[in-house]
Amino acid sequence: MRLKLGFVPLTDAAPLIVAQANGFFADEGLEVEVSREASWATVRDKLMVGALDGAHMLAPMALAAALGIGSEPAPLIVPMALARGGAAVTLSARIPADGLARLVEQRREAGASPLTFAVVFPYSIHNYLLREWLARSGVDPDADVRIIVAPPSRMAGLLAEGVIEGFCAGEPWSDAAVAAGVGRIAVRAGDVWAKAPDKVFAVAEGWADAGPARLQATLRALLRASAWIETAENRPLAAEILARPEHLAVPAEVLANGLGRIAFCRDGACVPNRADAVWLLGEMKRWGQVDADLDAAAAAARIYRPDLHGEAARALSA
Amino acid sequence: MRVLVVDPDPARAALVAEGLAGVDPLEVRHAAVFDHAEAAAFAPDVVVVAADSPERDTLESLREASLANPRPVVMFVDRSEPGLAEEAVRAGVAAYVVDGLAPGRVRAVLEVAMSRFALMNQLRQDLEKAKADLASRKTVERAKALLMKERGLDEEAAYRLLRKLSMDTGRPLAAVAGDLLAFAGVLKGDRP
Repeated sequence: MRLKLGFVPLTDAAPLIVAQANGFFADEGLEVEVSREASWATVRDKLMVGALDGAHMLAPMALAAALGIGSEPAPLIVPMALARGGAAVTLSARIPADGLARLVEQRREAGASPLTFAVVFPYSIHNYLLREWLARSGVDPDADVRIIVAPPSRMAGLLAEGVIEGFCAGEPWSDAAVAAGVGRIAVRAGDVWAKAPDKVFAVAEGWADAGPARLQATLRALLRASAWIETAENRPLAAEILARPEHLAVPAEVLANGLGRIAFCRDGACVPNRADAVWLLGEMKRWGQVDADLDAAAAAARIYRPDLHGEAARALSA
Repeated sequence: MRVLVVDPDPARAALVAEGLAGVDPLEVRHAAVFDHAEAAAFAPDVVVVAADSPERDTLESLREASLANPRPVVMFVDRSEPGLAEEAVRAGVAAYVVDGLAPGRVRAVLEVAMSRFALMNQLRQDLEKAKADLASRKTVERAKALLMKERGLDEEAAYRLLRKLSMDTGRPLAAVAGDLLAFAGVLKGDRP
């Protein structure tokens, strides 16, 4: 059976990349092409038209797309989560450690332009983490600063050029900015939220229904890959695999720390918990992205499918 | 109508821009990356963006009208023709238009972009094929020369021998020629 799965070059795409490189898909009788995609919007569109069968996706984006927010409605479901806790806010050295609110105030009095921050996508844990951190620092994310969207691979450059003063992206881009000496980490998702649901594996509902066995085989291979990555002695090899030019094309030593920090399947990180979806929808409501009266529990029940994950996990442990 | 073409591939962007100049829009610009300030100054009515451009997510974020972006941007989907959006995704093109622009005009832009993307793909494939053909012709020439030297054959006979090897093994002529050269290297001791 031939499948095409998409990923965006980030450390937390590791389960897809490793399942392919280590032959876990082949063990399940699947012939998989993993396709590197340049943007989240393209991943969503390709899933929608069937140009991809499944993909690594921002959890809030899967929810938004399934609800028809920010795009035509895409009947997507989430049969598995891929990662928690990889996001971090990275600041330029120009911003004082705890004087952000004062700096914002000074600039307002001086009539200067608002500080600009960047995130990877409007519907992302990165946007919500940056906003939460700004709010906790006494800054109104909507009124006091400007938040733009930029490709993660360009964040370090934008920071160095002074176009932005900080950004929130997934690994390896925070570690890369620190390694390049242009930024420092202000806060990590794990410092703010015990569980910070980040990426999921999304498929079209029609594709899932048309081949339940194919989906289960895919999930088993991904779960094996997650467990393999979580094993500490495999991490150097995982970093090497991710570092390859056709995958992330980033030096393995920059990837190593992030790989250890991200939860792939420990503490149930692979389970597409409906409570996580409800929580994310709450963040989306808080920042005005979805209607306050949306029935989050009903949406979560429709889109997040822990039953499909459970079936694959049980088959592996049997 | 002002059209901005965002594409990391400058040659393809130029091709699309050139194609669009022939449609009724008056002003076409192309850029490798999307720059907020430049885009604000140009104020495009339509942005055509390559699907393999990482800038797409930035354009997505402009769909929500805001203070910084008072003109709401929508991704172009013509509901009257269900196949069109899908065709564009498969062709690797996305289009964002300022809300309220007539769908017919956008459609013309999108169609030109799609056809130019297809043309570029074809050109690239032709180029790759021409390169590969040239490389295999060189390999065959070298294998022929080797046979002429080592077996004392004339050019015609050397070629016939290669053809026979190719047919007997069911492998392409260039592959057989490549093997012959590799083995000859081993026999002569200039390879491990």
